[in-house]
Amino acid sequence: MRFMLMIYDNADTRELLAGPEGKDLMAEVEAVMAQLTASGELVGGEALADPSNTRTVRVQEGVPVVTDGPLAEAKEHFGGYLMVECESIDRAVEIAAAWPSARHRPLEVRPVMDPGGMEM
Amino acid sequence: MIEGLLRELAPQVLGVLVRRYGSFDTCEDAVQEALLAASRQWPGEGIPEHPQAWLVAVASRRLVDEVRSDVARRRREEGAAAVALADERSQAPGAERPREHDDTLTLLLLCCHPALSPASQIALTLRAVGGLTTAQIASAFLVPEATMAQRISRAKATIRGRGFEAPPADELPERMRVAEHVLYLVFNEGYTASSGPDLQRTELADEAIRLTRLLRRLAPGDDEVAGLLALMLLTDARRSARTGEGGELVPLAEQDRSLWDRDAIAEGVALVERALASGPLGPYQLQAAIAAVHAEAPDAEATDWPQVLALYGLLERIAPGPTVALNRAVAVGMVEGPGAGLDALDGIEGMDGHHRLEAVRAHLLEMAGERDAARDAYRLAARLTTSLPEQRYLEDRAARLG
Repeated sequence: MRFMLMIYDNADTRELLAGPEGKDLMAEVEAVMAQLTASGELVGGEALADPSNTRTVRVQEGVPVVTDGPLAEAKEHFGGYLMVECESIDRAVEIAAAWPSARHRPLEVRPVMDPGGMEM
Repeated sequence: MIEGLLRELAPQVLGVLVRRYGSFDTCEDAVQEALLAASRQWPGEGIPEHPQAWLVAVASRRLVDEVRSDVARRRREEGAAAVALADERSQAPGAERPREHDDTLTLLLLCCHPALSPASQIALTLRAVGGLTTAQIASAFLVPEATMAQRISRAKATIRGRGFEAPPADELPERMRVAEHVLYLVFNEGYTASSGPDLQRTELADEAIRLTRLLRRLAPGDDEVAGLLALMLLTDARRSARTGEGGELVPLAEQDRSLWDRDAIAEGVALVERALASGPLGPYQLQAAIAAVHAEAPDAEATDWPQVLALYGLLERIAPGPTVALNRAVAVGMVEGPGAGLDALDGIEGMDGHHRLEAVRAHLLEMAGERDAARDAYRLAARLTTSLPEQRYLEDRAARLG
């Protein structure tokens, strides 16, 4: 099964990465990535730019209306994701718990919809 | 045609090489390279007179080159004395006699080693026994090639050093069950995908059937292998009826049975009848027997539900589990009425929050004429499933109830 591990951030997380702990945190991130690569569970992942770079797009009566900034101002924002394929949601939760930022900000583990299905 | 031949020869060539040189993982790489070379050369130059010998020769050459450069590297790195190439040839005299059948079975059982995760067993089996490339396997499982390559190399590292020999007699039945389960998983992956947009994945169902046929030739006395092959054939026979024009799922009861593959059904029915008559019952034989009851009914109304119910009763006794209990509850509903089916659902443990439980509940409630409750249960099931076509089907059932 495939899961997206949605990593939530805020301004503090970035400060943390720039600070004295930053190097250790990045090393931890790399260690988790290396382990997921070796196990064949890592499918992909990206980090997103700061939410201030966001454009929010709506189409109203056929006309795109574009506003600067994210849809909702929130304390936490969606900062990036890991895509993994693993045996169960329990294993995906275990991976999320090993992600260093989980000690500061939450991750969400969401199953990805499968294009196939069983007859009922 | 060349691809089919190569895929058939792949495990035999690998068997010869492993027996000759002893190291599964380097031999496996060498065979893949030989298969690639053949797929490049044969279409232009024609198929050699002895294709298997050609592949063995090319793979051996690659392997020897590999060993030589490895030896040279080690010599450079460690300044050690030459490591004799002969060490790699840990081969007893006479081991070359044709024993391809045994070798292929040993190979399959090694790829399905219990020390490997199911995902690794599947990947390694498809590559080493099925002769598929890493790229083909990756695309069938919708993961990047690098991810699949990692799974395969990790799997090979895990079984490195395990001898290339048949498991001891007392372990054989258990090891056969693992191999059957791996093939069953491959089939399911392909079968569920046949409603999706990705047609490449449906080839997995064909590949699982091909490999199960191979296993059946290797272990003709194993009734569960016969049962598994029958189950696959009887299920796959419905392939073109189980989805509508827009890719939507068509339930068994509403399928156009004239689209069912009669040859596959006849073969599956014959296999399961012979297996059931000959020896101890097993879960694949029983599941195949249930599929045969459905396959033999000219229309949904003519289904012999008491027979299905009796078979699920047997299955529950030898291989109990929530999925079997759930399917049995459907049969109870069809034989004794929806109320009895709903009562049977209440006793099922370990399926809370599972969309299939709610989908069956919805179906039984609909049969009982409880439209509002049925609609709510279909909607709940639609929210719970992680399959797009199932979700579409369940939303559609809810919508029909207004």
